[in-house]
Amino acid sequence: MSHATTWKEAAILENARYHTFFNLAMALAVLTGIEIVIIFLPWAASIVMSVLIVLSVIKFFAVILWFMHLIYDKQLLFWLFMAGMILATGTMIALLALFSIDDVDLADIASITSYASNLA
Amino acid sequence: MASQTANPPLDDKLLEEIHADSHTNTGIENKKLIMWLFLASDCMFFGTLISTHLIYRKLYPFGHPQEGAVDITGTFDIELTSFSTFILLMSSFLMALAVSAMHKGAIESFRRYTFGVILFGLIFLGGQVYEFQHFFHGQGWYEWTATNAAGEEVSGTEANEGVFHDVADTAAAKANFLHEHHGYELTEFKELKKVPGLSLQNSVFGSTFYVMTGTHGTHVAIGVLWLFSMLIYSYSGRLTPRNAIDVEIAGLYWHFVDIVWIVIFTVVYLVEYIEL
Amino acid sequence: MSATHVADPHHHHAVADKTQLAPEKSHLGLTRPDRHSGIIDWLTTVDHKKIGIMYGAAAMFFFLVGGIEALLIRAQLATSENHLITAELYNQLFTMHGTTMIFLGVMPLSAAFFNFLVPLQIGARDVAFPRLNTFSLWTFVAGATVLNVSWFFQFAHTVGWFGDSLTIMGADQPLSQIAPAGGWFGYAPLTGREYTGIGTDFWIVGLQILGIASLAASFNFIVTILNMRAPGMTMMRLPVFTWMTLITSFLIIFAFPAITIALAELMFDRLFGTNFFRIENGGQPILWQHLFWVFGHPEVYILVLPAMGIVSEILPTFSKKPLFGYPIIVFSGAVIGFLGFAVWSHHMFTTGLGKIATAAFSLLTMAIAVPTGVKIFNWMGSLWGGRIKFTVPMVFALGFIWMFMMGGFTGIMHSSAPADAQQQDSYFVVAHFHYVLLGGVLLGLLAGLYFWVPKIFGRMPNQKLGYLTAVLVIAGFNITFFPMHYLGLTGMPRRTHTYLGDMGWDLWNLVATIGAFILGIGVFLCFVNLAWTAVKGPKSPADPWDGRTLEWSTPTPVPAYNFAATPIVQARDCYWVHKHGDKKMDYQPDDGHGIHMPSQSWWPLLCGFGFALFGTSMAFYAAGVPFAGYCVITGLGLVVVGIYFWALEGPGGYHLEPPHDGEAAKKPTDSPVATAAH
Repeated sequence: MSHATTWKEAAILENARYHTFFNLAMALAVLTGIEIVIIFLPWAASIVMSVLIVLSVIKFFAVILWFMHLIYDKQLLFWLFMAGMILATGTMIALLALFSIDDVDLADIASITSYASNLA
Repeated sequence: MASQTANPPLDDKLLEEIHADSHTNTGIENKKLIMWLFLASDCMFFGTLISTHLIYRKLYPFGHPQEGAVDITGTFDIELTSFSTFILLMSSFLMALAVSAMHKGAIESFRRYTFGVILFGLIFLGGQVYEFQHFFHGQGWYEWTATNAAGEEVSGTEANEGVFHDVADTAAAKANFLHEHHGYELTEFKELKKVPGLSLQNSVFGSTFYVMTGTHGTHVAIGVLWLFSMLIYSYSGRLTPRNAIDVEIAGLYWHFVDIVWIVIFTVVYLVEYIEL
Repeated sequence: MSATHVADPHHHHAVADKTQLAPEKSHLGLTRPDRHSGIIDWLTTVDHKKIGIMYGAAAMFFFLVGGIEALLIRAQLATSENHLITAELYNQLFTMHGTTMIFLGVMPLSAAFFNFLVPLQIGARDVAFPRLNTFSLWTFVAGATVLNVSWFFQFAHTVGWFGDSLTIMGADQPLSQIAPAGGWFGYAPLTGREYTGIGTDFWIVGLQILGIASLAASFNFIVTILNMRAPGMTMMRLPVFTWMTLITSFLIIFAFPAITIALAELMFDRLFGTNFFRIENGGQPILWQHLFWVFGHPEVYILVLPAMGIVSEILPTFSKKPLFGYPIIVFSGAVIGFLGFAVWSHHMFTTGLGKIATAAFSLLTMAIAVPTGVKIFNWMGSLWGGRIKFTVPMVFALGFIWMFMMGGFTGIMHSSAPADAQQQDSYFVVAHFHYVLLGGVLLGLLAGLYFWVPKIFGRMPNQKLGYLTAVLVIAGFNITFFPMHYLGLTGMPRRTHTYLGDMGWDLWNLVATIGAFILGIGVFLCFVNLAWTAVKGPKSPADPWDGRTLEWSTPTPVPAYNFAATPIVQARDCYWVHKHGDKKMDYQPDDGHGIHMPSQSWWPLLCGFGFALFGTSMAFYAAGVPFAGYCVITGLGLVVVGIYFWALEGPGGYHLEPPHDGEAAKKPTDSPVATAAH
């Protein structure tokens, strides 16, 4: 956190941040542009997917570190947030791995659907 | 109410007092800590929503057990969504500047930036309302032939907005056509391409998509209301540099809404365009 | 700020001085309700101790409600082919018994301890956000009301009140299902509109509101524990109960979102016809099970960790030894909390997860037994070689260790997927989790009540009655639940209304029912004892047990500001070291401004009222009652209005001057026990 002791110091500090924020905002816009373009490129799906994930993670961390001041703040905040983030991501990956189309009987769903529509 | 328009004069002693008041064991203000905890918890909220969406995307490649119920990339309007994404990113930038302004004690520039954030937030919400409405109604493209009183024949193509609104109803289409193009009578029309409407009920994709993006939209709306309240409050003259922390936590909330959108934009919108 | 100084050196408890203060006016020109005593004071209080007492009172009430539900279940099962109650009522009873005991009994009783003890144990004057704490309380009350108001309408329908007017609750809904009947786990598709009535809506909204209360309280406690500690109270000097509160709060903030979203999706399925769990339109009911247990398994640790914390305070106190392996106990608690998020699928072994997933969840479940075992060995280490005093709380705490261990053993049996496949949905599982939740958690909480009630009310519970209740509860509990192991292994399924006479289950069911009534009498006598103590019990000294932690250093009853001067902590078990060791506690010097107290507020109560209206009318709306939609909007509107006024009125506050009876007021009075020990 800023430890400015006078308002003048605070102003100098925040004005320096203005440039950081501006450059970051421009970089984010460019990264988003790249994301939109590459999905239409004739590259292998795995490459596009990897690039998309990497770019999103970069954007994600750029926002939380600079816009949300985590880089200026105490480390504790970063790890508190990461705890939630890691648990959420981990749970999501585990859930995705647990579900498989092999466990779903589409014919069964179709028969239940027609049964339900007959009831109605 | 004493309305203060210009930045009030600042005393360095005030800054000292603000630092002293916010003293805690961890050196993090209580309000900032609770906000970060809320955001960590909110990760799990959106994590659950996105998991639900992705699980069903994994199970049903067509967005529904039956093929044809949904046309995902046909429904999506990636230009509009990209524009919305850009707007939300820029609103995040303005929000960072508004917080910065408060730390400098510059109330006036805080007001200007916050106004910008609210405006951009409203544009995003408007985009979402427009998007939902169009997704809900679906789209169709038609080739038509018409004749005028003189017997001249003209032909063209048209999207169903307006004229062919109800595709099944030929009479209505004729009436609409006459209304749009005076003196021309529709003789035949043919469907070129049709994207079915997407609703909460008609497909699994519709359920997960609307509930997830709707939850995000609700977050944006709450953020807009929060910042708007703060902007109005600033004109009462009671929003002083002491309240920089209040602005900062509103900012944290806003940025969080932005990063959630960064994730949603990629895993919900962009990946649909990758051809496997 | 209109700070008022009151200097009255002869008045010992500054609490009573509130009537002499000029009330705080908010920016809105409204007067803060600081001047009142009695009912208005309790409704608007921001004092964590009063909030704790109200949580405790509500929890005990709901323990009795849930207990009566349990006794009705046991009465029905006493003999085979019994028809004391209908199958529908039986479903409602086991659903509401589970929901009530977990969300309205154990969790709020734990919250009562969090509230009363955490600020006292860390040397703080209040929690970080006093009004948010009040908000949690009233939101909890609102959620509890929404859940249980369904019983009222069910009862009214049964006895015929209101005549036919109840039929407005949906033409197509059976009115025998006004109370929830889908089980506390609410498995889809049973909770679908086609299968259960308005009861499920009451259940969904009630749990949503309770979730908001738990989340708000947990955010508050984490900030309080991290940020509000007295000087010198480092993290590794925190009492273990406070540590467990911290871990439990983290579990709540990370586990509750999963159930909140799952419930919201279910509500959308019921209200707006979405397809999240509706199989006929492509939904996967199994997804509900996953999302529910992503929340549900951490929830088990949310229930048990506070009791572990309580026991970790009681055992050293009555063994006259420091807690054995303090850092290991803290670390084990954290590991249990973390691993708790990675074992949810062991509730679903029989759904067919696939070999790899089953093996992984099986191994992780076995792994979680390790930190739990570490804790038990450390508690035993704390007892070893100590000068053990078998006081009432100690008897309950020892009962906790033994009974919880038995629940743990059957838990390890379940972690093996092939064994679990045999035990799934049988009474063996019922026996297992009652050993954990009743033999574990309830005994721990009762131990805590007997331990801290002298500090809470300044009065001593009747010890003889205390021993009697301990015997009744522990004996009744074992007579009830031990036979269920046999019943389960011989194949008696859970959640069945009745059973045939030739299955060989009659004897043990009868024994269990007799045990349940003994247990019921025990718990009832326990609550009678505590209620009597609060009103009529003999006065207790400030430190009756020769305690170790900071809460015992405060005068009894604890003044509104907790500590006249903030203590400077020198050691772990600092009050014990202060009394018997070489490091005396010091106090921060008075800054001459008096003690800043937060102002009371009406708005959290308004929010609670709004939530109650919102929840009840939401269920009515789902049932198609006319105008219910407007009541939903009104309820939400009240919440929003409450939040705006709450924000605009500001924290407010007034100053209290602590008593100045020389040095005596600053230093804690040494209790007779403490003096004798020297």
